[in-house]
Order: sequence, then structure tokens, then C-alpha cells
Amino acid sequence: MSQWHPQPDQLVEFAAGTCHTGMSVAISVHLHYCTQCRTALSELESTSAVLFEQQSAVPVTDSAFEQLMQRIQREPEVEPVVEPVNNRFPKALSTLLPASLDDLDWRQPMKNLRVSHLMTDESGMIIGLHHMKAGARVPNHYHRGEEISVVLEGGFSDQLGSYGAGDFILRTPDDTHSPQTDAHEDCLMLSVVAAPVKLTGALGWLLNPFLKA
Amino acid sequence: MSAANVISILSSKKARTMTQTSQTADDWADLLEAVARRQDTKAFEALFKHFGPLIKAFALSSGLHSQGDHLPEELVQDVMLAIWRKSASYDRRKAAPSTWIFTIARNQRIDMLRRLNKYRADVSADAIWDLESDTELFGEIRQSRIQDKVKSGLYDLPVDQRQVMAKVFLEDKSHQEVADEMKLPLGTVKSRVRLAMKKMKLSLEALDL
Ligand SMILES: [Zn+2]
Repeated sequence: MSQWHPQPDQLVEFAAGTCHTGMSVAISVHLHYCTQCRTALSELESTSAVLFEQQSAVPVTDSAFEQLMQRIQREPEVEPVVEPVNNRFPKALSTLLPASLDDLDWRQPMKNLRVSHLMTDESGMIIGLHHMKAGARVPNHYHRGEEISVVLEGGFSDQLGSYGAGDFILRTPDDTHSPQTDAHEDCLMLSVVAAPVKLTGALGWLLNPFLKA
Repeated sequence: MSAANVISILSSKKARTMTQTSQTADDWADLLEAVARRQDTKAFEALFKHFGPLIKAFALSSGLHSQGDHLPEELVQDVMLAIWRKSASYDRRKAAPSTWIFTIARNQRIDMLRRLNKYRADVSADAIWDLESDTELFGEIRQSRIQDKVKSGLYDLPVDQRQVMAKVFLEDKSHQEVADEMKLPLGTVKSRVRLAMKKMKLSLEALDL
């Protein structure tokens, strides 16, 4: 069971479908590990459904049902659902991945850290993977915007706690931290960042992996 | 008012309540199963008559028409088509019919907005909200109990809280956008939603660690 969760209002926006794609993907991955949040989501969706049913209905055009049945006859075949080629992770993330993580375009800003940029969403959030070697320590840094990390494999700790698979960690611009990977296992994380991170120390340039040179 | 009048009002009220309660979640679930098992078009038409106008209201409250007059009707078509095609995956032990239909409407709206705004569809709404709820956790009885709790809870809410709930849950607006629109501080919008959830005794509060 995961110990670190999205905030209630983030789950509300997820249930309503109003958060940006980066946040949605991060929450979706967390939900695969967390029964507690799945229960909360189910209740939020029930709440939405009750509000949905209590709306004042707006009549549809008279021919709408007929048109729909014609469309069903015209397009009887359901387009095949494209299943992700990668099944190692929850679906929301897997759809963004090639069969092997080695096929990703990895950059290595530090000896013990590899990062890969998967996509930039409609709000400018960057969705990526971070791979930290066992026992690695990332120098102290702060964030210009929000940073969300969801641990996929392994674990790490920083000044505020320690984290394992499924944990959802939100860092706001004011937080400074220096993550340290668990000693015996590499750590793979989903990362969603608003803006490239900036190191507080002299190694600043190293941790700007998403800033294309 | 004459006694006869009162009785006729009472009985028409009663009749109205009866027609409303005669369509329970169970009935909608039966209809969805009829569509899945026999491709029953009569059952599908009954679902369309009830849910089509609600989907249209949902599209309008989300402001879809501002991006094209035809879009609310298009959303109705897309959602009902998806219901027809996915009906076999409906499981009444996992979700009340209206909850299942709401999630389809939400996902179709997200995908439609992405298409309209030409965002790359690297990841579809169905891939993000692919969560199969756990049967053992939820179950049919629990599902209808949650809906009952929500219904009576919403009924008891003060108007300002209800209004915020409707905006946050249906109108495709983030807490921030609702706050801007209602000229309220962001914290007030968030706390109204949380207070409402608390009043309904839903477990979201358990997450307040
Ligand atoms: Zn959780």
C-alpha cells in the first residue's frame, strides 16, 4: 500500500476530468498501486454521476436517435483498440513507451541519473522517466514549478520522507531536496515537471536535462 | 382549494414520484445488459431518451457549443455510440449505470476537446481512466449505497456548496477556474468541495493525512 497520495482536490479534478494530462497520467499510475485512492475516486465518480443525473435535461434533435442507429449500421466495426507494446507499467504510462526502455532517448545529466522525455502536455508539463542508480544521490535542488514524481520501481528518500513503488510525491517551488536512492536497487520514476529544475549549487547545469542544448 | 383538488395534486405528485422511482438504477442496468446480450435496440432507445438529453446538458454546461454549435449533439452521438459498443464491458457489480455513463461522457468530452484543440493524442482518455474497479471492494450493494448517500447528502447542502459542486464536477473547470468565475478565493472553493464530501461521509477525508 502506497503511503504518499495525491491531494483530495487533485483527485476531485481527476474524477471530473479537468486536470492536465501530465497530472492525469501521474494520478492514474498511482491509482494502480493504491486501493485507498481508488475507493475515493469511485465515490467521486458516483458524486459526479448523481450531479449529472440531476441536471435539467436539454432535448436532443428529433432525428438524433435515428441518425445514431444509421451510424451504428454504417460503422458496425469497432476500431481495434491499440494495446501498448510495453506491459511493464500501468496503461496510462505504457502507451507512451516502446517495448524496451533501452529504445528510449535517454540523456545522462549525471553519472548515476538517466532521464528520458516522453511528451509535453497541453499545459506545458513535461512527462518523463527518471532512472537513478542504486545508492545515488542527486544534489540539492529546488523547482521553478511543480514537480510530481511517482515511484515505479525501487525507492528513494529525501529530507521529507522515504518512498516506494506507487508513492505520489509533489514538490512545490519552495521545496529544496536532495533525493537519495535506496542502497541495493535502482529507482525508476515517472516525473511530471512544469519547468526545468534548477540546482541551488554549482552543479546547476547538470540537472537541467530537459533543457535541450 | 377544494378537497378534490388537493387529492388530484397529491395523486399527480405521487404518480410523478412513482414514474421517477420506477426507473431505478436496476432498470438502467437491465437495459444496458439487454443491449450487450441481444443488441436490443428498444432498450437502447430507452437509454438514449433518458441519457441523451443529460449528455447534451453536460456538453452545454462544459461550454462545448462555444467551439461549434453542433458539438453538444455530436457529443451525445459519440457517447451513445460508445455505450452501444462498450455495453458488454458494463458490470453492475462495479458501477451504477449512471456512474458508468458519466465516466464515458467525461472521457469522450476530453478526447473531443483534445481533437478540437489539436493536442497530440499521445495518450487517450480511455488509457488514463482505464481503471477496472475492484469488484470485491465495491460491489453492487455498496454502489447503490454510495449513490443514495450522495443523493441525500447533496439534497442537504446549502445552495452555495451545491453550486460549487456542480461547477467543479460537471462544467469542465478546475478549482482555480471556478474560483475565478465565482470571484472566490481558491481555498474557499476547495474547502467547500471538501466540506460537501465530508457531509456525505465519503472517504475522501480519509486521505487528509
Ligand atoms: Zn493513494
